[in-house]
Amino acid sequence: MARITIDPVTRIEGHLRIDVEVEGGVVNKAWASCTMWRGLEAILRGRDAREGWVFAQRFCGVCTTVHAIASVRAVEDALALDIPPNAQYIRNLILICHALHDHIVHFYHLSALDWVDIMSIPKADAAKAASIAEGSSSWSGNSRKELEAVQNKVKGLVASGQLGIFSHGYWGHPAMRLSPELNLIMFSHYLQALEFQRKSCQVVAILGGKTPHIQNLAVGGVMNAVNLNSLATLNMDRLGMLQAILEDLIPFVQQVFLVDNCLLAASYPEWFKYGRGVVNYLAVPDLPLDAKATKFDLPGGVIMNGDLASVRPIKDWKDDAFRKAVTEDSTHAWYQGGGRLQPYKGETIPDYTDFKEDAKYTWVKAPRYDGSPMQVGPLANILVGYAQGHPSTRKWTDSAFTQIESVHGLKVTPNDMQSTMGRYLARSIRSSMLADLALDHLNLLKTNILDGDDTTYNVPTFPKGEVMGMGMHEAPRGALSHWVVIENGAFTNYQAVVPTTWNASPRDDKGVPGPYETSLIGNPVVDAEKPLEVLRTVHSFDPCMACSCHTLDASGEEIAQVKVQ
Amino acid sequence: MTSFGVDAQCSISVIGLGNVFLGDDGFGPLVIETFRCSYACSESVEVIDLGTPGLDLAPYLYGKELVVIVDAVHSAMAPGTISFFREEDFVSSRAKLRITGHDPGLWESLAHLRLAGRAPAELIVLGVTPESCTFAEGISERIVEIAYEASASIAQLLRDRGIACFKRVQARKPNLWWFPLTEPPSITAV
Repeated sequence: MARITIDPVTRIEGHLRIDVEVEGGVVNKAWASCTMWRGLEAILRGRDAREGWVFAQRFCGVCTTVHAIASVRAVEDALALDIPPNAQYIRNLILICHALHDHIVHFYHLSALDWVDIMSIPKADAAKAASIAEGSSSWSGNSRKELEAVQNKVKGLVASGQLGIFSHGYWGHPAMRLSPELNLIMFSHYLQALEFQRKSCQVVAILGGKTPHIQNLAVGGVMNAVNLNSLATLNMDRLGMLQAILEDLIPFVQQVFLVDNCLLAASYPEWFKYGRGVVNYLAVPDLPLDAKATKFDLPGGVIMNGDLASVRPIKDWKDDAFRKAVTEDSTHAWYQGGGRLQPYKGETIPDYTDFKEDAKYTWVKAPRYDGSPMQVGPLANILVGYAQGHPSTRKWTDSAFTQIESVHGLKVTPNDMQSTMGRYLARSIRSSMLADLALDHLNLLKTNILDGDDTTYNVPTFPKGEVMGMGMHEAPRGALSHWVVIENGAFTNYQAVVPTTWNASPRDDKGVPGPYETSLIGNPVVDAEKPLEVLRTVHSFDPCMACSCHTLDASGEEIAQVKVQ
Repeated sequence: MTSFGVDAQCSISVIGLGNVFLGDDGFGPLVIETFRCSYACSESVEVIDLGTPGLDLAPYLYGKELVVIVDAVHSAMAPGTISFFREEDFVSSRAKLRITGHDPGLWESLAHLRLAGRAPAELIVLGVTPESCTFAEGISERIVEIAYEASASIAQLLRDRGIACFKRVQARKPNLWWFPLTEPPSITAV
């Protein structure tokens, strides 16, 4: 038996340590440990509830926007405040474009190199690659000339012997199986993705005033002034600019990102069998369409035991069952106490012990839903939508299945999606849906403004005494909720139950492991010194441990240590 | 001078990196706010606090002529020492050493952009050695003083390259919202 410790896992945001025990080439035990402390909730106590979002968006350096939105929604919930439709649409556009940016970066820059062997690119036949790429997509950036240029860059890089950031990949690993041509196609999109990452950010910047850390939010709406005839406000020019950027961005999502994931799925069909993990799924409704948030463009719901037919829809943010079901436990986390606490009563008092696999071993608490661990993220999002017959989810999921089958002859079912590969595919399906929704919400905004509505903000009024509220957001990595207690307008408690807490959850008081830990069981490991397969499954969740602070002590090499005992 | 982010009109970026809640690690954001309040620059200069963006740094470096990054730097030098690094210091063999707490993202973003032909033409890191990067304890007084010196250095860097940058006759008051509360907020509850 071999014990493998990967610390830190690279190509993620933040710091994560993974330990696995491997017997006969297969993982039979796993532990996920977050090695950073997050105590931002403590900073928020005593602060003015109207400015909580400014602090909350520094929870993470990457998913800034999602915490800002969950924070204002939590306070608005406590005050039962309506949000003008213009403000809903502007927020929705920001959230959609932030998610597109995040999903593109995750697939190309944070995880593609687990599957794409760039060292084989010099051997590719660029003409053949161009014909494969042009045969599977109408994207204009797949020409032979384009691919040859990328191939020459890689040849130059390999010839220089200075691989830089690419020097630590598991090149030539037996689990790397794409043809040189497919590797070339994917890596060419890896470089093109930089431009589209930037375009998504531009939408966020135009509406949010700045990115990262948008400036336009307010408890009660947004601070964008709307006046179609003024140069200084959200006017026809600005709306036209947004339309133009989206029209550039959408084809990359639907004709490149989704197609690449279908290619990947067809090339690695065995990865639909690995990484199933916790098959309880949670997604929350998002992209509200009216002032009282009664209708949504993204459905929420709960699926237990992998049974899609059992889906319980979460119709809106008031959902009482959700509010009662969520608890957090710190039996195995470096915090005092151990029992299951409802987030309004949550505590964040550190109690660090060092990594003790049978006791405390992580800074992440164990969130539970009616006592069960839950998987969150694009896969949960797609499965609860598919199970409820949500039209856009069906359209894009079926489109991916058809592409994989017609081009590659592989049949994929919703049940196969409950896997490592399913999580990748789900992220690209969700992105394709969001790309359509971006234009829908821009049109909703335009139509509403043209109808003469220029309201973007309702003034919040704080009552004397205590109020409590919960704000939800279906973030790129899954269901996010902020839980606040406010007294006379200032926070007295603030707890954030973040997507990566659900997925990277440690064992709970009953010893039941979380989704990362469970998904690694049964995962193959061909070479214990190069645990590429472990990384594939961990990266499939898009870990972002940075809802916290970056460590700054080390001045050594920032290279993953893999220790095998 | 804007603080818009990913502004295609701006060919020059002055970027602050750092976690505002980690004591002196907040040097970058502090200098950005101090600089904005003390100096006025050409429209081609974007002055922006990016927090701790990791790989999300790439869009802000994309296609720029000049990028100045301000960050806390870990070195054996005395706390408060200002030092300058060029891009070569990151990509040379000795650059396996981390220069700032945030250079995994910086190093990778630069490498990606270089392959895509969109790396900034010139990159300079202005660093300060921190005294203490402790969570939620506020920034050291000494580092706050150094922020004015660092601002003057940025202005000089820009002027040396022919970019207009003037000291404001009347400095504005920096908005350092993340500093610990000295008195409770005044909220009218009804």
